[in-house]
Amino acid sequence: MKKQKNENQNFMNPYLAGTGLGLTLLLSFLTLGAGLGASSGIARIAACAELCIARTHTLSSEYFGKWGDAPLRYYLVFMLAGTFLGALCSALMADRVHLRVERGEKASNRLRLAYSFAGGVLVGFASRLANGCTSGQALTGSALLLTGSFVFLVCIFVGGYSTAWLFRRQWND
Amino acid sequence: MYHLDTLGSAKAFVAALLIGVAFGFFLERAGFGSSRKLAGVFYFSDMTVIKVMFTAVMTALLGLSICVACGWVSMDAIYLMPTVYGAHIIGGLVFGVGFVMGGWCPGTAAAGLACGKADALIFLGGAVAGSALFNEVFRLVRPLYEAGDRGVVFVYNSLGVSRIGFTLLLSVAAVLMFWGCEWIEDKRRREPRSRHENSVLKVVSVALPALAVLVAAVGIDANGHESIAAVGAITSIAAETQLLDAVEQAQDHIDPADLADRLVNGEPGLVVVDIRPPEEYAHFHIRGATNISMKEIYRNLMPYKNIGTIVLYSDGMTHPVQIRDSLYRMGFRNAYILTDGLDGFVQRCLTPVSLRGEPVPPATADRIRLWRSSFLDSGDSKPAQMARMSDEWAWLVSAEWLEKHLGDRNVKVIDLRSQPEYNSGHIAGSLALAVENLRTNVNGVGSMLQPADMLARHVSLMGIRPEDTVVFVHGDKVHDATLAGMAMERIGHKHYAILIGGFEQWKADNKPLTTELPGFSVSSYPVVPDADSFTVDYKTVLEYVRKKSAVIIDVRPADYYAGTKSDEARAGHIPGAINRPYTEDIAKAGDIQQLKSIDELGKVYSQIIPSKDAAVVVHCRTGHQASQTFFVLKHLLGYRRPSWYDGGWAEWVARTDLPIESAAAPRK
Repeated sequence: MKKQKNENQNFMNPYLAGTGLGLTLLLSFLTLGAGLGASSGIARIAACAELCIARTHTLSSEYFGKWGDAPLRYYLVFMLAGTFLGALCSALMADRVHLRVERGEKASNRLRLAYSFAGGVLVGFASRLANGCTSGQALTGSALLLTGSFVFLVCIFVGGYSTAWLFRRQWND
Repeated sequence: MYHLDTLGSAKAFVAALLIGVAFGFFLERAGFGSSRKLAGVFYFSDMTVIKVMFTAVMTALLGLSICVACGWVSMDAIYLMPTVYGAHIIGGLVFGVGFVMGGWCPGTAAAGLACGKADALIFLGGAVAGSALFNEVFRLVRPLYEAGDRGVVFVYNSLGVSRIGFTLLLSVAAVLMFWGCEWIEDKRRREPRSRHENSVLKVVSVALPALAVLVAAVGIDANGHESIAAVGAITSIAAETQLLDAVEQAQDHIDPADLADRLVNGEPGLVVVDIRPPEEYAHFHIRGATNISMKEIYRNLMPYKNIGTIVLYSDGMTHPVQIRDSLYRMGFRNAYILTDGLDGFVQRCLTPVSLRGEPVPPATADRIRLWRSSFLDSGDSKPAQMARMSDEWAWLVSAEWLEKHLGDRNVKVIDLRSQPEYNSGHIAGSLALAVENLRTNVNGVGSMLQPADMLARHVSLMGIRPEDTVVFVHGDKVHDATLAGMAMERIGHKHYAILIGGFEQWKADNKPLTTELPGFSVSSYPVVPDADSFTVDYKTVLEYVRKKSAVIIDVRPADYYAGTKSDEARAGHIPGAINRPYTEDIAKAGDIQQLKSIDELGKVYSQIIPSKDAAVVVHCRTGHQASQTFFVLKHLLGYRRPSWYDGGWAEWVARTDLPIESAAAPRK
């Protein structure tokens, strides 16, 4: 518990971190001509995995099929790798790399991991449906003032707040 | 890199990697390597997510607005995601549930993984599985994925406010939200906020609205108009200056003589656009020019953006200038106006040497003679264009007309008879085409006209260009020519015509034949995906049947319509359909087949269809014969809303849930 408190105090001021993120996004607009993204990278990994398991099936599928036989050759895959590396740098600098399952003290690892996996499935699916996640739609699209992205952002909070009570036990201390 | 289409280059990959590093760095700095902190926003215990997210949105939004206003970047160069209401609403709700359940979102999970969180790894595994699941059930969710697709829409347009107004509003809302978040956290916190935190919050609270006001000041010009346009094409003072520079250097117009020479030389990629009303265009236009209405300019010229040369003209200068400037703002750097318009062209290039007031040097006289022979009908000193029936475009041309125009650069002749017939003698310069090659299986239905992109490739291989006049020469089936015509309509080709009486007429008139292959060069026909607004599917037809809101004409032979004869599992016709066999519209004289006279056809169809504006669906078994009736209605008789059910009876009858009617078992 003590360690966690220390970690918290090391976090950057949220408004400064937000400004940093905003400038990163702006840099992305100016250099790439496109915003940030994370879920596409994950989906490309999924396509790659499916290709290894069932090649012809994947190539002939309507959605992954159009990415061809080298789905990882895509800028957002590189961005996802960069996100991991950047976070690793920051975490190492602040001594925040510790192998563990993050959960409430009274919750079991199993419950937390089951929720993580199920949440991951929903998020992975919804990101494809909405053509982006919190990074690619909510953050990037809102900065571009796109209607769909605002709708998506509002709906994330509606979906989250309305069901938060159901999943609260994983954080019980 | 998006607008240059180089996002797949190694350079873009390195840039994306580096931007990702910065992204991940700030995510982790903010504390987003912790699922507990992220999920805290949903339990009002830690509002960092909202604070960081909205600060980032506002920073990027204001930063980008400043960059655009200063002309450092254009919104055209940035990838804008379309709004799809169904997908965004349902996607958002499901995402929200997944977010609160898993405690991560994709980007933060990558950061969490870097911090050694096992739950982040499991979450990412789930997200990979969820993506694969989406691919597997894509067929099922596709309607939702496309539901409410509005294209690129800006939220200020959706709300009916100005961009600047909305930006100001959003910055104030963000600040209020930040104070709200602090208030929520204060209630739970034991020790007060540190002085450092307090001062950052205050700076942000002042800076965001102040920057928004600055953006507004830069974006509104002296007249109070927003120079940052409300639509996608956001212009800027710098861009406008650039435009005016181009005008000053006379880079915006082209000289008539120059245009005439380039047209005569057949310069590839030269697109001449006549923006006058269709009637004036039909009366006379520069040979090779395409008629595009002002409304359709942008869409129709998109394929030529910065490829080749676009020349705009009308009879004055005003409209072409405005269109050219508008195109320039949209990123076209290859649009020009014709100096002095059509009048200038006629005066400078087409006035005979004998009628000119000033002496003309011999070299110029030669050029004028060449221009006149190229742009005017031979032996005719009056400007005239193509064969015309009244003032309309001629959809039917005579053998005499064709013979006279065989050498024209813009006239392409396509022979639709069988290969052996073509090989044993054809019109000079004509290319052979079997219409069946324009059809393929689409969505399980056989003999459907191919999609526009395939047809565009097809006509490219025959060297046909958008500005060409294509003349179809049929053998014993007029509907071969009309089916080929449907292909032209689908790719948005403006001018095609059918040789009256087809090949047999040509032969009967003792016109010359050859067995030589023609010389030609491959073209690159642009794909205009939405040109086809006339083909309907069975769903639309079913809707019409239910609502009885269209005249459905079944053009198959009468015994097939009645159901006494059938090649399918079910016999009869679509409920409410009227039978008018396509053969009834044909007049035969020996071997020569041609459409009956317009008067005769007009009388018949005025009995069947109540008005020229009535919705009409024509169909046969596979779409071939019905194309002829479509041609008659649309082009010869001027019905405004005919549509073509390509799938036809073959598809209708095979979908066993669709209703049919037959003489044997009349409708209850």
